[in-house]
Amino acid sequence: MSYLISGLNIKNISEYNSSSLYSKFDIIDYQLNTGISVMPNYTGFGITGLTTWFNNDSLNNFLTDTSFRVTGWLNNVSGSGNLFTTTSDVNNRGRVDFNESYITLSDSQVLSGSGFNSDSRVLLLAFEVLTPSNIAEQTICKFGTGNNYGLLKVNGKDELFSAKFILDNQQFDAISSIYDDKNIVTLIQNSSANTIKIRQNGYELGTYSSFNDYWKSGELTLGLNPNNGGIRYHEIIHFTGSLNTSQIDQYEKYLFEKYFKNEGLYFAKNNVPTGSDHSPITYTGNSYWTRDINDLFFLSYGSSASFSAKLSPLTFGDGYKTNVTNGINTLSSKFNIVYDGLTDLQAKTLITYFENTPQSQNKSDYEGFKGVDLNLFTPYKQDCETYFLNINHSTPYNDINKINIETESFYESCLNYKGMYVLLDEKSIKTYTDTTFEFAYNDVFYYPSTNFYQRGYYFYTGQAKGVAQGSTGPLSPQNSPTGVSTYFTRDFYFKQDIDYDIQENIRIKSVDFKNSTKEYRKDGEYPNIFEFEVKLTKRSNKETLAILKFLDDKAGFKIFNYTLPQPYNKTIQVYCPEWNHTYQFYDNNSINAKFIQFNSKSSALTVFNSLITFTS
Amino acid sequence: MAKFINYQNLDFKLNSQNFYANKISLSINASVDPVLVSDGSLLDYAPQGSLVGSLSADFYLTGALPNFLDITGTNSTQITGLFGGVQIDNLYAKSLSFSVEPFQPTILSVEFDWYGRLSIQNIEEQKVSERQSKQVPQYVANAYRSSMTNTDLDGVESIVNFSYNSSCDRPAFFKVDEVVPFRVAKLNKKAEISLSSNSLGDSIDIDGKMVTTTLTLKDLYNTTLQTFYVSGVMNNQKYEISEGNYLLTSANIYQQVTEVKTLI
Repeated sequence: MSYLISGLNIKNISEYNSSSLYSKFDIIDYQLNTGISVMPNYTGFGITGLTTWFNNDSLNNFLTDTSFRVTGWLNNVSGSGNLFTTTSDVNNRGRVDFNESYITLSDSQVLSGSGFNSDSRVLLLAFEVLTPSNIAEQTICKFGTGNNYGLLKVNGKDELFSAKFILDNQQFDAISSIYDDKNIVTLIQNSSANTIKIRQNGYELGTYSSFNDYWKSGELTLGLNPNNGGIRYHEIIHFTGSLNTSQIDQYEKYLFEKYFKNEGLYFAKNNVPTGSDHSPITYTGNSYWTRDINDLFFLSYGSSASFSAKLSPLTFGDGYKTNVTNGINTLSSKFNIVYDGLTDLQAKTLITYFENTPQSQNKSDYEGFKGVDLNLFTPYKQDCETYFLNINHSTPYNDINKINIETESFYESCLNYKGMYVLLDEKSIKTYTDTTFEFAYNDVFYYPSTNFYQRGYYFYTGQAKGVAQGSTGPLSPQNSPTGVSTYFTRDFYFKQDIDYDIQENIRIKSVDFKNSTKEYRKDGEYPNIFEFEVKLTKRSNKETLAILKFLDDKAGFKIFNYTLPQPYNKTIQVYCPEWNHTYQFYDNNSINAKFIQFNSKSSALTVFNSLITFTS
Repeated sequence: MAKFINYQNLDFKLNSQNFYANKISLSINASVDPVLVSDGSLLDYAPQGSLVGSLSADFYLTGALPNFLDITGTNSTQITGLFGGVQIDNLYAKSLSFSVEPFQPTILSVEFDWYGRLSIQNIEEQKVSERQSKQVPQYVANAYRSSMTNTDLDGVESIVNFSYNSSCDRPAFFKVDEVVPFRVAKLNKKAEISLSSNSLGDSIDIDGKMVTTTLTLKDLYNTTLQTFYVSGVMNNQKYEISEGNYLLTSANIYQQVTEVKTLI
């Protein structure tokens, strides 16, 4: 049992077996094959014939020039051939990144050497072909000299039946991605049968019959693909003679465990037939296996979002203060996502998915693991990176399950002029232009302007206008967002619920005369600072989008006007550091927002709606 | 002149199967709530849930009941109904009942929840030619040969009549942004029998009396059309006698239908 499986609180999850059938929502721990992995130089099984072993494990594997360009790749098997470059052009020498497990040979960069001759051989190559700018043949390796070569090449678009591995001129359909993904290609050259079998990631692609004698040559060349992005060579292992299938599986698994990141749990999104070509890392397998939660589950009503601003208020006395934002990601965002009506099998899969999220790949060598890309609910953005924090599973009856997952998202920034979660997507929220002619109450538009104060989001509060109303013309300039008789507003124009509850705490100081009495004194000239909750329940999706866009745009600290309800009726300045939203049902949303009165000049408007474009 | 549709010209089908119904009832309910705002005005009426319809039908049993009408079974998939040329795609059966009275044909009543929208205004009569070419059912269930076993009903001798009801709750689950459920599950499945007899044996105890019985619905010619097996608890007994009449007893039997979980 793998460490992944043993670390889960769920039973009956097994390692992938290509000869098994799987049903939708089944879970597997994918490994290249179910056998063990074996180091190439292990001789405990009596295997001999290792003549070549190039890898990137040590600096001693390379000869470099003063620019740390590769002039030689040294064989780990002593007494065997090495690979060199003899070019005096530094640019035609490959690069080695000492933080990575590969050397890259791009364009005309080349390494070649002799001493690799063998009539029968097993050659295992772990490499990654970078996507070429123009699809063209690229040579991974070749045996021979002059114009006489036995060639292993790659070509085609990165899709099934287009992507090819090529031995000389015979093409074989690749089963897994050929570009920007690591691959293990194994060539099994049998002199007596005059055949070369080719395997990609453990799957036999086919047999090349009647190969030419150049394949038996001792001259090996890597790279030399002018005008191409390059090939990253991770490891090359070469055995003379023959190995049985089990031994080849073991060496391939050694390479897989060392370089591949796509081992681990996969989830069936359809019923899966048998066969290695249906494994998760193949083109075909992509239709059957997934790690994308959005392929498996969809959110239910009751899902909610909560936002709170990370602020450090500085109080100046007399009720005046300023808010200092802590960093560019002002808003802390949490989502409580609900998956309801799950069968037991679906619940098992979702709980496993949750428990497995920390096993995701690290974002880089310097960062933690990658979060879950989640399609949030209306009106929030799709494909939002979130981190699953806790799960609550309840079941009212047999085969009915409800799962709530609390997630956190923190890679969205209010510096993005499009917004954080309620996006300017040109569908729900569009850019206002002089030709825009469809308007409905609560429509939100982004008004682009060179004027700092005019730029931003505007909310349409006029009568509906458009084709349905027999109008195809734009608004007149005076009715535009910045016109003198505008139909738009930037104020908080939404009406809160009829039932409201406002509590006011007067700001006073007290002096406690111990064992005697207490005395109250006024705290400055402005003791009445409101802090209250605004409830907006049962709101349509359209109004909700407008409310949330308004709050999202204010980023938790920007000041806006708010008119208090009866009997106050006064317009005050507030900011909204916290709010939450629940999607109750279609066209039924609840929003609770905390407003805090802010005594300051309204002209000190903070605008962080930067559109940053990098020109070079 | 207003057009009134005559029932005799209407067909009732479930999953393309004809049912000889003598009564159909259809209703739709939208659960809405007013949205009142702080200035005292009405903003809108907000939906609290999906549009839920109710469909009930009384029909003669003319053959074995299809699996999709097994209320206490595991089949919870949607049923397609057709009534007067109007198709209802998202029917979910939630109860089935019948009563067996001496020498009476047995009429089954079934109730459904349904979701989504339908063009009920398009309801129309069946063409005369289609009605005339409709097959006459070969079997019709009748109390004459139908029975309820009493071998495991301690003390119950002659059963005068009995009725059966199976029901369950159908909670609906929705994807966000959708108003038609992706799943309508089954919850609290139960079967109940009421019977009248000349005697009931021992009176029930605090935990009732465990009983097992089989109801068999047959046609006049002794052809078995459907059986119902109930293993539950007798939880109510009643003895009634009035002047000039025999002592008549009645009892209720209740079964909570369960499913043992299959390990996954």
